[in-house]
Parts: sequence; structure tokens; C-alpha cells
Amino acid sequence: MAQEKHFDSPHPRKEPRFDQSLSLENLKEIFSGCVDFMERMVYLNGDRERMVTVCYLLGMTRNERLSDYILRPLAQDTDLSRVPEGELFSLLQYGALYNLAAVRRDRLDDVVNDLLLGSCALFFPGRMDVLTLPVPTEEKRSVGEPENEPALKGSRESFVESIRTNTAMVRRRLKAPQLKIKEHIVGRQSRTQVDVLYLEDMADPDTVKQVEDKLADIDIDGLEAAGNLEEYMADTARSPFPLMAYTQRPDRLCQGLLEGRVALFADGIPLGWMVPGTIDQFFKTSQDRAYHWMVASALSLVRYFCALVTVLLPGLYIALVTFHPEAIPPKLALSIVAAKQEVPFSTIFEVLIMLLAFEVIQEAGLRLPGPIGATVSILGGLVVGNAAVEAHIVSPAVLIAVAIAGVAGYTQPSQDFGNALRLWRFLLAILASLGGLFGLSLGCAGLIYHLARLESFGVPYLAPFTTGTRMPRGHPSLFRLPLPAMKWRDGAIQTQNRRNQR
Amino acid sequence: MKGVLAYLLTGSLLLLSGCSGLPTAREMEDMALMRTMGVDKAPEGVEVTVSTGPRAKGLQAEGEGSLVLSARETSLSAACLSMQGHSDSYVFYGYVDQLLLGEELARAGIKPVLDYFARDVELGLGAQLWLVRGDTARNAVESGGEAGVDGRLTTLQMDGKLGEASISRTAGEIYSDLMERGAAFAPALATQKREDVSLTEGGYGIIKGERLVGYLEGEAARGLELLAGRAPAEVLTVAQPDNLVSARVNLVHTTADLRFQGLVPEGLELNCRVEMELTEYQTPLDPIQREAVAQELEELLLTRIEQALTQLRQWQADCVGLGLQGAVGHPWKWKQIQGDWPVWFGTLQPEIQLQVTVHE
Repeated sequence: MAQEKHFDSPHPRKEPRFDQSLSLENLKEIFSGCVDFMERMVYLNGDRERMVTVCYLLGMTRNERLSDYILRPLAQDTDLSRVPEGELFSLLQYGALYNLAAVRRDRLDDVVNDLLLGSCALFFPGRMDVLTLPVPTEEKRSVGEPENEPALKGSRESFVESIRTNTAMVRRRLKAPQLKIKEHIVGRQSRTQVDVLYLEDMADPDTVKQVEDKLADIDIDGLEAAGNLEEYMADTARSPFPLMAYTQRPDRLCQGLLEGRVALFADGIPLGWMVPGTIDQFFKTSQDRAYHWMVASALSLVRYFCALVTVLLPGLYIALVTFHPEAIPPKLALSIVAAKQEVPFSTIFEVLIMLLAFEVIQEAGLRLPGPIGATVSILGGLVVGNAAVEAHIVSPAVLIAVAIAGVAGYTQPSQDFGNALRLWRFLLAILASLGGLFGLSLGCAGLIYHLARLESFGVPYLAPFTTGTRMPRGHPSLFRLPLPAMKWRDGAIQTQNRRNQR
Repeated sequence: MKGVLAYLLTGSLLLLSGCSGLPTAREMEDMALMRTMGVDKAPEGVEVTVSTGPRAKGLQAEGEGSLVLSARETSLSAACLSMQGHSDSYVFYGYVDQLLLGEELARAGIKPVLDYFARDVELGLGAQLWLVRGDTARNAVESGGEAGVDGRLTTLQMDGKLGEASISRTAGEIYSDLMERGAAFAPALATQKREDVSLTEGGYGIIKGERLVGYLEGEAARGLELLAGRAPAEVLTVAQPDNLVSARVNLVHTTADLRFQGLVPEGLELNCRVEMELTEYQTPLDPIQREAVAQELEELLLTRIEQALTQLRQWQADCVGLGLQGAVGHPWKWKQIQGDWPVWFGTLQPEIQLQVTVHE
């Protein structure tokens, strides 16, 4: 009865998943119907009295390793037929096989997991334990350039889908034993490896614990998309603003670790996350430290300015043109009036429709293959836009305002942050349509209130611009000082060791 | 969550039903953007004339002529309101940046107009103020014809800022001068019947209290500019033996100092430093000749300042704030005599120190 109740509960978890006794028959029953499950009986050194059964999943193992490091010694090593039966297991575990690792397993659940991760299992007749040998395939995409974060001056490496390759890229840059990598398995069916990386004497132990606790609490079927992790790890799912910064670039992730942040990798997802996420993280690029500090500072200010432009411009245009025309310089007002003559729609309708059209063209361009996408953008943006202006369906001033707002949004290094701004742009435009500058101001106050309420792993989202953490900020966030003057780690996060240089 | 949705729904319903204190949207293309306003005295009260300047009518269409509206009412606000019915567009006064006042109204008092400009949500004290000399503001506004007077007034204003024409002044500057000094000067315009230009400079009108008391023109107007620390837009020519020399004022710096005997003003000392630049000459000047030119120019400029001061003292109108500037070192004494300063200004004989330097 209790068992039935357990299975009636929402999404019941069974631990261990396979509680049968460890035997070849039970294993075969578990993998029945799996065409990639392979088993092979091997006579040890040709001795028909001594044999083992090798089980593995085709495609998950590397065939050459399996043949050369395991099957060949099993078939040809003469010691295997000479040693007493009782020592055979130990000989294979500790010496006879050339594989890098060999693990003794006595639970069926562990053997199933090992097979799924690319090991092969050796079953010995009459024994209740099994030897598993990891021989995973290394088929993966080679390390390429980061397409979303291109570098003009810096490393051209990008994370790939293989989690171990990603951790190795980080380890190559941070050759310190203080770099700890802890592994968690997320997803009942996907059994995805998720690694937590941090520098032991810098990262806040509480943050590390929070991250690990949240990972342990995730109980889902599979981790197939970045959102599977982000939405479960974030403190709130009600905000469109990203609370975990991510990057494709190992150098940027290492910089995050050096600031005292905690990094996360998930197998199969070619990027790394850095927590806690504070708002300034989403305005930084990996190139900020590569350029001269004056140039980097100017570009940083441009990005902040563009964030304001992209979120405010359509609303501001509606508010000024429709409610407060006296605030527009006279010559600009005359130009707007001239451009607006013969256009049948109201300014509010025009702006909202153009914002929607902009999103439609962008979405169409993204969903189609590259060359067709570019054609759609040109047709939609230039030809249709120009024709609409010529036909007096929209006024050029609205087109310019919406286009500037859209293009300004593309300066955001974080696509997630840019998407959040796009949503708020619509909301502010609607509020401006209702109440002019009053509505727009109300929306801006709401936006600031919303941002001020957000927290990422206990750190206020606006921490770089507030004193919420009661920690000295160390250096400004709007612009970058010369690197020799940036002697402190990010004050927003609780680092154990604040000073980063002599 | 349900509560938030309920609030949003209620708010939306209220907004849709029109129950909101939110401002009303109005499309710009449905507005007549007024650029110039003229105010005159009328038997009913005031006559207000407004003009748009040339209007654009679509991107491909030709420009439309200026729209001129006029209304006579008991008050300025009533006249502005009544003009809403004279046009098929919403008459928008938010872009009025030129204010013309007819002479009759200026002599009767300009304070009500300035008060209205200060209080109205659309109008503002940033508008340039001009007095129409010997004519009505309506005639001045209408003298622009199809093109309107806005362009001409903007040109005069910009020239004034660049030192190429009379000093242009905003309604706010004049209003604050009237409150602080009790007098102000405003550029005056004269209407012309010429085809190429409708309005020309007509010196400066002197406003005391709130009424126009007279005009300074010619030499006296240039003298007022020197007292105000502004270089006159003029080239001065001096005839020397075998040489005709032209010079232009580059820089003027005028300071005033008020001397007291106890609490009684004893004298007003004016120091005026003028730097001039030779623009033309027939033969190069040696230092002695240059000194002679400087001396002659000094006499010329001194005459101008004296003419301006004589007229201002006669009206007892310290419109450039000489008393306030001169008493800056004696604030508590100034407080004692501030109320009687116009009388003192008319009584005291100013001592003028003028120093002219001529550069090559």
C-alpha cells in the first residue's frame, strides 16, 4: 500500500533505480529491447575453463580501446590461465588490463550507470561483483571559435559539448590545485553530468553550498537545454532578466573564477555559467580586459547608454510626440509633422506595430538558414520598410526610432539580457501610450523596483550600484580602471580573499 | 498572482472606460504649431495674433503658407482659447518662441502678458520678446505675408547672439530685470513696407515698472550696448590726416562702483574698457597715430555712453543694473537705498572712465 502511495505521488523518485541483485541476467533484462547493448564471452588466454562476459553499449565506447586494452589482454595474456581462480579478479583489476581505470562494482545500479557513461563491464561466472572499465568514446566537436562572443584580440577557443574537454580548458588556464571540480548527476533519464568549479580559497563557501544544494534538489527527467538548469537554479522565474551569466569563452569563465564566482558546466551544453549573477556581468565582454582601459571604458559606457536607448526610445518617442510635443525642439517637431502627414495611423499604433514587425523580421531571420535569413532581413528591413514609408503607411521618424532602439539592443553582450530589455521595451511603450512621460516614469520606477528585488544566490542583482552587501566595491562597474589599479576582486560577491594583486 | 491579475484587470477596465487622470493623446500632424505671438491693446481688452511660419504638407508636397489667427477678448487666455475655434487644427502654443508687443500695449503695461507666459503650461518665458515701435504687433506679424515673420525674427535673434545685431532678450530676462532692477530694456522693431524685409531694428525700448517709457536709438542705443557690456555691431570710421581708419569693437567690459557717504550714495563711477581692432586703413599706423585714433574713438564712444546715460537718468530707469552692480560690495547699504535708487540714479552724476585699446 505504501509502495502504491509512493508511486502515486507526483514524479516519484526511486533510489536506487535498479535494486535487483547483480547478475548478467538481470542486466540483460534491464537492457532488453536495446539494440546497442552488446555482450561477448571471452575465453581467458584460450582456456575454455575460464571465461568472462564483456558487456558494453555500442557507440558509447571506443572500439579501439575496448579491443586493444581489454579484449586483447583477456585473449592473449598467459597469466590469466595460470593464476588461481580466486586471484583472477584482482589480477585483472590491478594489472593485466591496460585500461586507465578499473572499478569493482557490487550493485546493479552502479553497473548500469557505468555502462551508460561508456564503460564496459566484465562478468565472472559465479561471482557477485563486476569489474567495470571506462572506455568512453571521444567523438565530439572540435574546439572552435566562439561564435556568440567573437574575439579580435584574444583567445579563439570556445567551449564544446564535452564537459571533460571544457573542464580541461579551464584547468589549462588555471593550473592551481585550488581549482575544485565537483560532479553532480542531474536528470533521471538523461543522467547528465553537471560540474561545479570554484577556486577553494577565493569563492564563498556558502555560495558553493547553495549551488550544490540546488543541483541536488533538481529532479527532472532530462537536462537538454540551458533553461533546464537556469530556471531551476535561479531564485525566481518571474523575471525576464538572466540571473546567471554564461559564456562560451574559457578566458572569461576563468576571469569569473578569479573574481571569486562559482562556475557550472553541463555535459552536452557548450557554455559555462558563472554565479552569482550581478547586472554588471551582462554588460562586460571578454574583450574589456584586452583593449586599452580608456577604449574599454568608453565602450562600456556606450553599452550602458545603448541599454537605456533600446528600452526607452520607443516609449519616449510616443510620450513626446503624442503627449508632450512642447519638449521637442521646434525644427525637429516640424520635421516630424512633415513626415507624419498623410500617414493614416496614430503614432502609438505605428510604434507598437513597428516594434512587432521588427521582432517578426528578427525571428524570421533567426529561424531560417543563414543565406535565406539574410535575404529575409534585407527584404523585410529595407525593401518593405522603404516601401511602407513611400506609401505613407508609416512615418520615417517612427521607423528611425524603432530601428535605433533595435540596433542599440544588439550592443548588449548578453543575448538573454537583451531579450529582457526587448520585453520591457514593449511594456514601457504601452505605458507611455497610456500616460505619456508620467506612464513612462512609472514604468521606469517599476523596472528599477523589479531589478532591486532580484537576488542571485543571496547577492543583490544591482549590487555593483548599491551598498546592499555592505562590502566595498573596490572598483567602478560603469567603466574600467587600468588593470594595475584594479587591486580588488568584485566587491559585490563575498570572496574570501579580496586582494587580487600586490 | 490572482490578486495581481485582478488589479490589472480592474485597472484596464477603468482606463478603457475613460476613468483616468492620465493626459490625453494628441497627434502632432493635427496641430497648428504656432511660432510667433503678437499682443496688442484692444477696446475689448487684448488682441492676440499668432502665426505658424511656413508649414510643411507631407514629404512630397510643396510647403504651405503660414497660418495667421487673430482674436480679441477681454483677457489673453480667453483670446488664446477662442482661437482654437478659428482653425481646423488644434492650435498649439508650445512652440511660441517669438513674442511681439504692440507699442500701445507696452505703454499700458506688459506685466499681465509676462505673467501669463510664466504661468501657462504651453507657453514659457524662454520666448524672445520684441517691442513693435509705432505700430501694432498684429501688423508686425502679418507683415511677413505667406512666409511669416518667424524666419526674420529668428535671424535677428541669432544675429543678436553673435553680436551682429541688437541685443536679443527673452521674456524671462526682461521679467527678472523688472523684478530685480525695476527697469529693463527690450529690442524694438519697426515695420517696413519693403518687399525684401518686413521688420527692421528700431533701437531699444526702455520699460520702467511695467510700462514703456521711451526708446533709445542711434548713438544712444549703441551707448546702452556699451553699458550692458556688449560690443556694438558696428564699424567706426575715424578720419586722420591722409588716412581713413576703420575699427570694430571686439570686447567691452563695463563695471560700476557706487560710493557711499554713510548710508547716502555719493557718486557712481563707471569703468569701461573697450578693445578694438583695426579693420581697414589706407596707410599703416605708427604708435603715435594709433594713439591718436584710440583717443578719437574714445571720445566717440564716450559721447554715446553719455547720451545713453543722460536719457536713462532722465527716465530714472537703471535698466542695465548699474546700481546693483556698483553696490555689490555694500549689500546692507544697498538694501537701505534700493527702494529709492531710481531717484538717486537720476540725481547722481556718473563719473565715466573709458579706456580704449586699439589692436592691429
